[in-house]
Amino acid sequence: MHALYDLAVGPLAWLAFGVFIIGSIYRLLAMRALALKKDGAFMTYISWPHAIKSLVHWFTPFGALGWKENPGVTIATFVFHICLFLVPIFLMGHIVLFDTFRGWSWPALPDGVADALAIVVVLICAYFLWRRLSVPEVRFLTTPQDVFVVSLVGLTFLTGVLAYHRIGDNLVLTTLHILCGEAMLAAIPFTRLSHMLFAVFSRGYIASEFGSVRFAKDW
Amino acid sequence: MKQRTIPFALAALVVACFLAMPALGQQDMKTIPDEGFKTKTRLPAVFNHDEHNEKAGIAECTACHHGEKDGKRDPEADTSGIPCSDCHSAVAKPGRTSLMRAFHKQCMGCHMDQKKGPVTCGDCHKPLPK
Repeated sequence: MHALYDLAVGPLAWLAFGVFIIGSIYRLLAMRALALKKDGAFMTYISWPHAIKSLVHWFTPFGALGWKENPGVTIATFVFHICLFLVPIFLMGHIVLFDTFRGWSWPALPDGVADALAIVVVLICAYFLWRRLSVPEVRFLTTPQDVFVVSLVGLTFLTGVLAYHRIGDNLVLTTLHILCGEAMLAAIPFTRLSHMLFAVFSRGYIASEFGSVRFAKDW
Repeated sequence: MKQRTIPFALAALVVACFLAMPALGQQDMKTIPDEGFKTKTRLPAVFNHDEHNEKAGIAECTACHHGEKDGKRDPEADTSGIPCSDCHSAVAKPGRTSLMRAFHKQCMGCHMDQKKGPVTCGDCHKPLPK
């Protein structure tokens, strides 16, 4: 297990970050090329002011009609995405690794707060999973890959919570946690997790078409 | 007068040896000392000094109790008996290593190199074994 842990924190960590960064750049460039090839006309009406205005609305809870339709999903979505970034970046255990091996340090969330927020992420993942499999209109759009990526995110946080509480063998749980996290990172460019890269652009595209062509709001 | 000096000197030597004992071995030590930290965020790392060194086959005190020369780690100088926090303060002085980083580098670094011993948060920062 020690050897697998070494592999996970060493070469696999570099590989995961490499795949995430290079893969993301590749996907963004490839998507741009595809958009120009299939719908080059959008270049004439694409507009930053429309895009930014729409993004501000969509980044505000209940700031768009789409967010008002389903308040429960809206709250879950916002809380989930905020915690998804906040917890890993400002987690004591993660900062300690950077501090020890790279000499970088930054302020951490109190352990209790980070723990509670991580549990919230696990619960919301379970809710998303239930929703994907049970709500008919969502189920209709769900592919096995969607189930896989939601489970992967949930498992990453669940193993982290278990390791923090020292439930189960700590080396096994911590190694699993790291491997899940790395798989998640590497999956971002190549699965539906790529909405992390594309959401801003697809929203900007729709907003521009609505604003410049149809003279309508898209929120 | 001289007849009294020798027994006194011997007695003083015995007392000195007893006082020096903790520096030579740390029989009572169960965790890494955490007095250097103002706020304690985790349980102190479980560490039985003598048991650890026997298991790890460490005979040289300088393996851990290193000194400092020109702002760099000096593996020759023996600093056993001096608290780590005397040099490594909780908030690092310029050019120094902070106490937390020093402990983590010392323990985790060696365990990673040797591929033995605990390397995860919860395998060190845990309640004392009963």
